[in-house]
Amino acid sequence: MPFNSGRSRFIFFCLAPAVTLFIIFLCIPTFDVFRMSLYKWGGYTDTKTFIGLDNFVKLFQSDKFYQVFQNSILLIVVVTIVTFAFALVFAAILSRSKLKGRDFFRVVFYIPNILSVVVISAIFSAIYDPNNGLLNSIVNLFRNEDVPVLWLGDQKIVIFSLAGAMIWQAVGYYMVMYMASMANIPESLYESADLEGATPIHQFFAITIPLIWTNIRTTLTFFIISTINMSFLFVTAMTSGGPDGATEVFLSYMYKEAYTNSSYGYGMAIGVVVFVFSFALAGILNAVTKREHLEY
Amino acid sequence: MRKNVSLALAAVLILVLAACGSTSNNTEQNQSTTNASNSSTNSTNSTATDTPPVEERTLKIAALETAYGAAVWEEVAAAFEQQVPGVKVDLTIDKNLEDVIGPSMKSGEFPDIIHLAVGQPKGLTETFIKDNNMTELTDVLSMVIPGETETVSNKLIPGFTETTITNPYNDGKTFLMPMFYSPTGLFYNAGLFEQKGWEVPTTWDEMWALGDTAKAEGIALFAYPTTGYFDSLFYALLNEVGGAEFFTKAMNYTEGIWQTPEASQAFDIITKLASYTEKTVPANANKDNFTKNQQLILDNKALFMPNGTWVVGEMGEAPRAEGFKWGFTALPAVTEGGDRYSYTFFEQIWVPAKAENADLAKQFIAYLYSDEAGEIFAKVGAIQPIKTMSSKLDGDNKLFYSIYDSGAKAAMGAFATTDPVEGVNISDTVFGAIDSLVTGAKTQQDWVESITKASDALRPALK
Repeated sequence: MPFNSGRSRFIFFCLAPAVTLFIIFLCIPTFDVFRMSLYKWGGYTDTKTFIGLDNFVKLFQSDKFYQVFQNSILLIVVVTIVTFAFALVFAAILSRSKLKGRDFFRVVFYIPNILSVVVISAIFSAIYDPNNGLLNSIVNLFRNEDVPVLWLGDQKIVIFSLAGAMIWQAVGYYMVMYMASMANIPESLYESADLEGATPIHQFFAITIPLIWTNIRTTLTFFIISTINMSFLFVTAMTSGGPDGATEVFLSYMYKEAYTNSSYGYGMAIGVVVFVFSFALAGILNAVTKREHLEY
Repeated sequence: MRKNVSLALAAVLILVLAACGSTSNNTEQNQSTTNASNSSTNSTNSTATDTPPVEERTLKIAALETAYGAAVWEEVAAAFEQQVPGVKVDLTIDKNLEDVIGPSMKSGEFPDIIHLAVGQPKGLTETFIKDNNMTELTDVLSMVIPGETETVSNKLIPGFTETTITNPYNDGKTFLMPMFYSPTGLFYNAGLFEQKGWEVPTTWDEMWALGDTAKAEGIALFAYPTTGYFDSLFYALLNEVGGAEFFTKAMNYTEGIWQTPEASQAFDIITKLASYTEKTVPANANKDNFTKNQQLILDNKALFMPNGTWVVGEMGEAPRAEGFKWGFTALPAVTEGGDRYSYTFFEQIWVPAKAENADLAKQFIAYLYSDEAGEIFAKVGAIQPIKTMSSKLDGDNKLFYSIYDSGAKAAMGAFATTDPVEGVNISDTVFGAIDSLVTGAKTQQDWVESITKASDALRPALK
C-alpha cells in the first residue's frame, strides 16, 4: 500500500503544475467573462454595477447585433464549405495522382498559412483595388461599364471578398491535414478497387472520404473556431468593419462595444454569446456527422 | 530517492509559478519609461544651494506618441524640471498608450497626467469621462503660468475651454485642457484651380455648379479619406445652417432637433455631396487604405476633401500632379454672404481622479501654455492654443492657421458625453452611414431615422 500512496502523490505533483496553469490561465478568465457580462462597467474604474441579464436583453433587441450575427454565420458557412471542398480535392489529387512536382505544390499551397494576416490583407487590398487592382483589370476585359466593381466598397460584395481572402489563407492548412490522414490509407484498398474497375472519382467517395471521416469531423470544429477568430483579424486589417458596418463580425463588434463604446460588460455579454454559439455549433456538427467508425 | 527528486522538482515548478503570479514592485519600476531628468536635476541642485532642500517628487506623465514624435515631450519635461526644482518627470510615451498604461490602471495605479485625445479607437478618454473618473481642472485656468506672469485663461485663445469636449458634463467645469489645435476644412489643389481658371466656391450653390463643370472634365467634386473625417465637416455645417445655439442643441440630442428645417438642410447638403463623391471612395474608406482616397486630390481625380493640417505631412512623400499646390478653405456658406465655418480640431490633456500628484500635475499643465513650452512644441508643428502662437508661424502652417483671420468662424465641440449606452454609437450612426449614402445602400430618410433613434436612446443617458 505505501507504494501506491507514494505513486498517487507522485502523479499528483506531476499533474499539479499543468492543472494550476490550466486553472489560472483558462478556467478563471473564462469564468470572469461570464461574470463580467452581468455588470455595467466601463473597464477602468471600480464602479461596477450588477445588472443581471440586462446586457443580454439589450443584445437580443439590437438590430446591429443581428447584422453582426448574420455576417459571422455567412462567413462561417461560406469559408467552411469552400475551403473544405478545395482542401479535400487538392489533398486527394496531390496524394493519389502521380503528379509531377507534387512537393512543390504542397509547399505553394501551404505558404499562405505562414504569412501574417496583415500581409495577406495588404495583398488582397491590392488585388481588390477598384482602379488598378488585379481583379478589376481582369473583370474589365469582359465588362463594359465605367464604374469599376468595388470589391471592398459594395455592401453586397464585400463580405464575399473577405471570404475569398480567408479561403485562400486556409486551404493549405486543411489540405496538409487531409493529406496526412490520406497517407495512412493502405494502398491495397485502392489496388483492389482498381481491379474491380472503380474510377478514381468513385474511389475518392467510396474509400478516401469514409476512411478519413474522423479527421474531417475534427477539422469541422477547427473551421468554426478559426473562422470566428480569423475573421476579426481580416476585418481589422482590411475593412475596419466598413463600409457602414457591412463587414462587422462577432469579435470586431465585441471589441468596438467593449472599448470604443466604453461598454465592457456588454462586450463580455457578446463574448458569452459567441462562446455558447461556437460550442453549440460544434456540438451539432459533431452529432450530425457521427458515423460508424471504419477500421482498415 | 527518485521520489524525492521529483518532489523537489515539482516544488521548484510551483515556486516559479508563484513568483510569476505575484506583482512585484521591482518590475513596475523597470518598465519602459523614459527618464527625462538626468543632467537637468543635477544642474538645478547646484544652483539652488541657498534655498532649503525640497523633497523630490515624481510626476508621472503618459502621452500618446503621435506624428509629432516622442522627443518633444522629453524636451518639455526637462524644461519643466528646470523651471520647478525638486520635480522629476517620469514619461511614458507610446504609440499604443492604452495597452501600456491600461493594465496597471486596471490594478489601481494611475499616471498623474494623461495626454490622449477623445476619438481614439480604444476610447480610453471617453471611458474616463463616462465614469466620472477625472480631476476637475477649472482652477488651472486661474493659475499663473510657471516662469511667467500671465494666468492660463489670459493666455489661451478664447473659446477653447467652453466646449462640450473640455467641459463634458455641461456644468461649466473644465475637466480636459486643450492641446495642439489644428483648423480643419476642405483641402484642394490650388494649382489645378489656377490652371483651369476656376474660383474656389464660397457658397454651396457655387460648389454644385463647380461640381458639374468638373464632372464634364472627368473630375469628381468630392472625396473623403474615411467617414470619420465627416465629423469636422458636419459640425461646421450645423453651425452654418443654424448658428451656435442650434449646434449646441444638436450636440445635446435635443428632442426633435433632427426634424427641424435647419437639420434637414444640413442632411440635404451631405446627401447631395455624397452624390458628387468619387465612386471608388467607399472601397478605400478604412484605416488601411484611406491614403488612396487622399491621393485622389493629389492626382486631380477629385477636387475637395475634408481634412486637417496634418495631411500635408501625411502625404509628404506621395506622388502628385504637375503644378500641385495645397489649398485650404473653410466650408462654403449656405447662403450668399452667410457665415462660413472651419471646425477646430484639438487634442486634450487630463488628470485621472486617482492621480497621486494632482496639484503638481496642474502646475505642469499650466506650464504647457508658457511661451517656452509653446515654442518647443511648435518646432515639430504642434501648435498650442495660445494667443501668441499663430503670429510666429511660417510656410504652409501660416496659410492654414490664418483661416480664422480671413473671415471664417471657428466651430468647436462634439456630441455631448453620455453614460455608456450599449450598442449605440452616435459617430458610427451619423458618419459611418455616409458610405451607404454614396453606394446607395441607404436613403437620406433611413439615415435621418437612424440618427433620430440613436439620439433618442442617448438623451436620457446625458451627463
